[in-house]
Amino acid sequence: MKCVLVATEGAEVLFYWMDKEFEESLRLKFGQSECEGAGLPTLEDQLSTLLAPVIISSMTMLEKLSDTYTCFSTENGNYLYVLHLFGECLFIAINGDHTEGEGDLRQKLCVLKYLFEVHFGLVTVDGQLIRKELRPPDLEQRVQVWEHFQSLLWTYSRLREQEQCFAVEAVERLIHPQLCKLCIEALERHVIQAINASPKRAGEEALHAFLLVHSKLLAFYSSHSASSLRPADLLALILLVQDLYPSESTAEDNDTQETDSFSPAEEYFTPAPSPGEQSSGSTVWLEEGTPPTDASQVQVAEDTLQTLVPRSPGPSSPRRIFLDTSVKENYCPMVPHTMYCLPLWPGINMVVLTKGPNTPLALVLYQLLDGFSLLEKKLKEGQEVGSTLRSHPLMGDLRQRMDKFIKSRGGQELQSTWLEFKTKAFSRSEPGSSWELLQACRRVKRQLCTIYRLSFLAAAPGRGGPHLPQHLQDRVQTLMQEKLTDWKDFLLVKSRRNVTMVSYLEDFPGLVHFIYVDRTTGQMVAPSLSSSERTSSELGRGPLATFVRTKVWALIRLARRYLQKGYTTLLFREGDFYCSYFLWFENEMGYKLQIIDVPVLSDDAAPVGMLGGDYYRKLLRYYSKGHPAEAVRCHELLALHLSVIPVDMLVQQAGELARRLGEASHVPLL
Amino acid sequence: MGWSYFFLYDGSKVKGEGDPTRAGICYFYPSQTLLDQQELLCGQIAGVVHCISDISGSPLTFVRLRKLKFAIKVDGDYLWVLGCAVELPDGSCKQLLDQLIGVFTFYNGPVSLAYESGSREELSAGWDTFIEQILSNTSDLHRIFNSLWNLDRTKVEPLLLLKAALILQTCQRSRHVLAGCILYKGLIVSTQLPPSLTAKVLFHPAAPRDQEPPPGGDALQEGGAALPPDVQIRPVFVTEGEAVSLHEFPREPVTSTPASAARLQEPSALRPPKGWSTPAPKENNPGHTEAMAWELATTPEPTSPNTVWPDGSGENGHWYGRDWESVGPAKPRHSARGRGPGLSRALVKEPGLSWGKEELDLSEIHIPEAQETETSSGYSDFPCVRAPEGADPGCEESGSDSGSPEPKSPKAPPVGTAIGGLLPPSAPEMLVQNGAQERLGHLSGDSSQAPVPGEDHPPARTSGPLPACCSDSGQTGTELPVGGQREEQCDDGGPESRPGPGPECDSGSADPPGNSPSADRTNSRSAPTSSVGLVRMNLYTHCVKGLVLSLLAEEPLLGDGAAIEEVYHGSLASLNGLEVHLQETLPQDQAAPAPPGRAYSFTHYDRIQNVLTANLPQVATAQDRRFLQAVSLMHSDFAQLPTLYEVTVSESCALMIETPRLLPSLPGTPPRLCTPAATPSRRPTSSSWRRWRGAPASRVRRTVPSASRARPGRSC
Repeated sequence: MKCVLVATEGAEVLFYWMDKEFEESLRLKFGQSECEGAGLPTLEDQLSTLLAPVIISSMTMLEKLSDTYTCFSTENGNYLYVLHLFGECLFIAINGDHTEGEGDLRQKLCVLKYLFEVHFGLVTVDGQLIRKELRPPDLEQRVQVWEHFQSLLWTYSRLREQEQCFAVEAVERLIHPQLCKLCIEALERHVIQAINASPKRAGEEALHAFLLVHSKLLAFYSSHSASSLRPADLLALILLVQDLYPSESTAEDNDTQETDSFSPAEEYFTPAPSPGEQSSGSTVWLEEGTPPTDASQVQVAEDTLQTLVPRSPGPSSPRRIFLDTSVKENYCPMVPHTMYCLPLWPGINMVVLTKGPNTPLALVLYQLLDGFSLLEKKLKEGQEVGSTLRSHPLMGDLRQRMDKFIKSRGGQELQSTWLEFKTKAFSRSEPGSSWELLQACRRVKRQLCTIYRLSFLAAAPGRGGPHLPQHLQDRVQTLMQEKLTDWKDFLLVKSRRNVTMVSYLEDFPGLVHFIYVDRTTGQMVAPSLSSSERTSSELGRGPLATFVRTKVWALIRLARRYLQKGYTTLLFREGDFYCSYFLWFENEMGYKLQIIDVPVLSDDAAPVGMLGGDYYRKLLRYYSKGHPAEAVRCHELLALHLSVIPVDMLVQQAGELARRLGEASHVPLL
Repeated sequence: MGWSYFFLYDGSKVKGEGDPTRAGICYFYPSQTLLDQQELLCGQIAGVVHCISDISGSPLTFVRLRKLKFAIKVDGDYLWVLGCAVELPDGSCKQLLDQLIGVFTFYNGPVSLAYESGSREELSAGWDTFIEQILSNTSDLHRIFNSLWNLDRTKVEPLLLLKAALILQTCQRSRHVLAGCILYKGLIVSTQLPPSLTAKVLFHPAAPRDQEPPPGGDALQEGGAALPPDVQIRPVFVTEGEAVSLHEFPREPVTSTPASAARLQEPSALRPPKGWSTPAPKENNPGHTEAMAWELATTPEPTSPNTVWPDGSGENGHWYGRDWESVGPAKPRHSARGRGPGLSRALVKEPGLSWGKEELDLSEIHIPEAQETETSSGYSDFPCVRAPEGADPGCEESGSDSGSPEPKSPKAPPVGTAIGGLLPPSAPEMLVQNGAQERLGHLSGDSSQAPVPGEDHPPARTSGPLPACCSDSGQTGTELPVGGQREEQCDDGGPESRPGPGPECDSGSADPPGNSPSADRTNSRSAPTSSVGLVRMNLYTHCVKGLVLSLLAEEPLLGDGAAIEEVYHGSLASLNGLEVHLQETLPQDQAAPAPPGRAYSFTHYDRIQNVLTANLPQVATAQDRRFLQAVSLMHSDFAQLPTLYEVTVSESCALMIETPRLLPSLPGTPPRLCTPAATPSRRPTSSSWRRWRGAPASRVRRTVPSASRARPGRSC
């Protein structure tokens, strides 16, 4: 019983997602007859009808009370509703089966919003434009867009339930230094350099390349000119790849072989890299039994995607995505990139990220939009009117940059809106009122967003925009396959048994499981906890493994909640286990730093995590203010011990474990 | 952490398009809120409640905004809404609302009825005073736990608490009276009622502080002949569950028998010997006790404990039967049960009348003993509330061989003693029905069995074991959960009572059967509001300055002048005495802030009795607020996770690794760790609800829900 809805203030549905049970409950509510025929619009309308009173009431409260709903729960927590307002869009998540808590639901909403940003970049800044992106007037297109995000939400939900790295929101590396080094060299020489040296690269510049084995990172290489990739973005990319080429347990269920045996390639499902009706990753994934929605609809979606993008090679076609960068010390969010996902073998994928020649435009647009957003905020608060505004340093700067931009870019509409704004803001004879100014400011913003949209979304590689020629993609793909062909099988097994608990048992008696996270790099290490029925971990695959998983997930949840409320240490005893959680700061040398008061967040704040809101980056920034001279590192350790272990010993073990893992994690990744 | 809003909205008044929202607002707190604002809140929330309940198919109970949260209860057309600050845990907010509704219903009956018959203004005035009273008397901690206002027992002479308990017991023996509680300046001194009922009595709108007439209540003097001075009797409404529990366990001092925390935790296994103090009467009436003992001893090997409990009714029947048989008729004896020689002697003289006198005796008794006695009397009445979750194995064992030769061992007390402790409970209503107490024929029962004295029942004859138990209980007390002991006691009793066939059985069978005690108990707290199934009762209140005696009685009490007189005169002298003593002992300012130099903050919450002990000052400092935050987080988690029983949180980093890991010059230095508890500057907050675990006796565990967690609040 799950549902997510994104709606405008007027209760217009911008996006929805629901599971079969919820759909069924709607069907029961509205009667069978109404549902016959076109399923989709009806569902959308049903949702809108049902939730409109809540949405409208929520807006009324905001207007009259300057406060709005964040959460509803019904008797015994049978149903939980979480509401989050992003800009002018209201996001609602519903759970009716007790499987998700408030934190989970809020996180889901934040992740969804983040995924919108990754796909639409700064267009999300403008309420009207993003509305058009999320709800194209053309029904077919709308279906396509919604299917895409629905599929992503399914993938996210699955990964969050199954993969530890998505549960704690950190990148998990495949631990094999030797192989990692080899791969990095290959990525550098045969991918990045090969692409950038090619004359046919159509102005695209390869920035990053990395290898994934299932959802684990094997190697990552960035070109020298590239700014570093944020861990949150990397994790989001892994999510996208997993959505394209789902590689988890679902794929194995058809197989009769034991994973424990050194698995041959056939064990894993292979989506054909070439285009074809049946070959797309998501289609096959449907067959494997994790149904996102109606299979035929997805098929349709894939097909329409292909008709819109002629001759594009199906799912591996390049995609426009927006990632944060810092260009010349300037932080710039949502810079357009092109993502090429090149499957090497099933379960092993290579991703190449390139940027186009017009990246500087994104930077300029961001700066202008940022300036106008700030101005809008000030106008809304009613601080600056008339002369104060004119003399404001921000205004002068903005005016100068805007004039320069207009000169270079032209664009009639923008020019006229800008002129209008200038007369309102700067003319002494007829100064506009604050409200008029606000409207003019919004119009300029919309124009800027439109330019952004035209430049980066309309001309996206998926819509026929410039991208690396297919043969170049094929070449790097083949090259990498050759390099790794001897390692392929090893990698697939290794990814299931990345870190084993056995190696820790002797030194840490009583330790059942742990997760160690370096929040500075956004990476985590943890013994494998098998999620599938078929693959067994050290704990086997029966109830015990499931039990431990449940404990670990519960610990993660609770630790988050306490961290949100400002507690960096949590130790509790539940049943036969001691669960502990520690967060601490270190300097580069591994010296522990003095702890500070971690901010106490409200219940409706963006949840602790990386994908939605990047809590840890903010935390690090907050902490670094007090330590300007040092590079600060932030670490977390979650441990599960048997409760027979005395607390003293437990804490001692945790310290020793953290020390050992800290040393290991200092092996550079490049 | 206070409230922001509280309102009652009648949706039936706003059906048509043209109906103004204000027509539906029955009551709105704070009343000075602008009407537009009132309408906004009522209208929006009522709308959302309707919408969400419609989608979900289950009623909306909670709405959170960014700066406010609302607990909601839908009761037919009526909508109860309580708005609280966001810091208050969701669960507490809901509980508080339930409590408010419960109190309203208790005094006014079902809400629809109350508002149909009474005027809004009158009811609103009642609400105003009532809410004022609650707000001015609850601290943040109280709001988190929704605990009762209890007297700080560390500041009271334990004997006074004992006395309060005895007064209640005496009253209980009057016709119609079921159970009651004694309050002093709005704080609980002693209560026999379950927490939910105690709360309702506690929030009495005409509490001693302000003698105003109750809000919607028609002070029921009309029917009765002139009531004695300072006495009021008014009709009240208890839920069916509460009514059943009142009848079924007539003498159960569920809460706050003035036992201090430590004492409460003594292992119930130890209780029996103490209860045995009842032997005091034995001296008076040896035959009787002997008979008892014999009966116990000859108890056939108990049928499997498991079989006993599922049908608690039958067993209870036995149980009560026994009680009556042994005690019912012997009032004087009964009241003399107290063990302390001085006290018992004093009491023996003339229980009903000589309360004043025995106060003199109080001085003769030194505290430990007093506590001892008091406990025994307080708890000895416990009927089998329910089986313990974890029974002391030893106790089980001893159950089968009550004639065990080493009765002095506190670990394995003869079960017979336990029974002795359980003597007094009687079912007043039964008595009333039967009219003549003799009918219970304890004598016949005794005589039939008397001939065979217990071969080996030292405890029955000597009071020897008592001191041992007493001291022992003090030591072990801390280790055991509060919840356990009461249950345990019945556990002890259970098997014993079974054997007793014969006359008692008959009388016992009259008990309302088939009600699982544990079920009642949980109900009484969780579902106090429903307007269906309310039972009318009379609430007798007698104010003696700051002291209030509140008794719940069956309805006929009001018309029964003789019974009222009996209760009144039976308790007047003792109440006066108690009042004087409490006034003398208690520090003037109960709410005095904690001593300034607090080195730590602590909170101890007793989930069973719903009482709180803490050392937080009235006005919270920043540090206290952090403490409160931690407490409320933990409280929510404990409420949600049944297997959780210990939590430590810290704002500081407990993991102090001070070894530079990358410096090869210091490879061997072991890391220095600082446990959370040892971190000096920032104190971690920790809380543990130890579970009572050592219970091999499966019966015990099965019957009892997870109620034995009762020890939160250890702060290091």
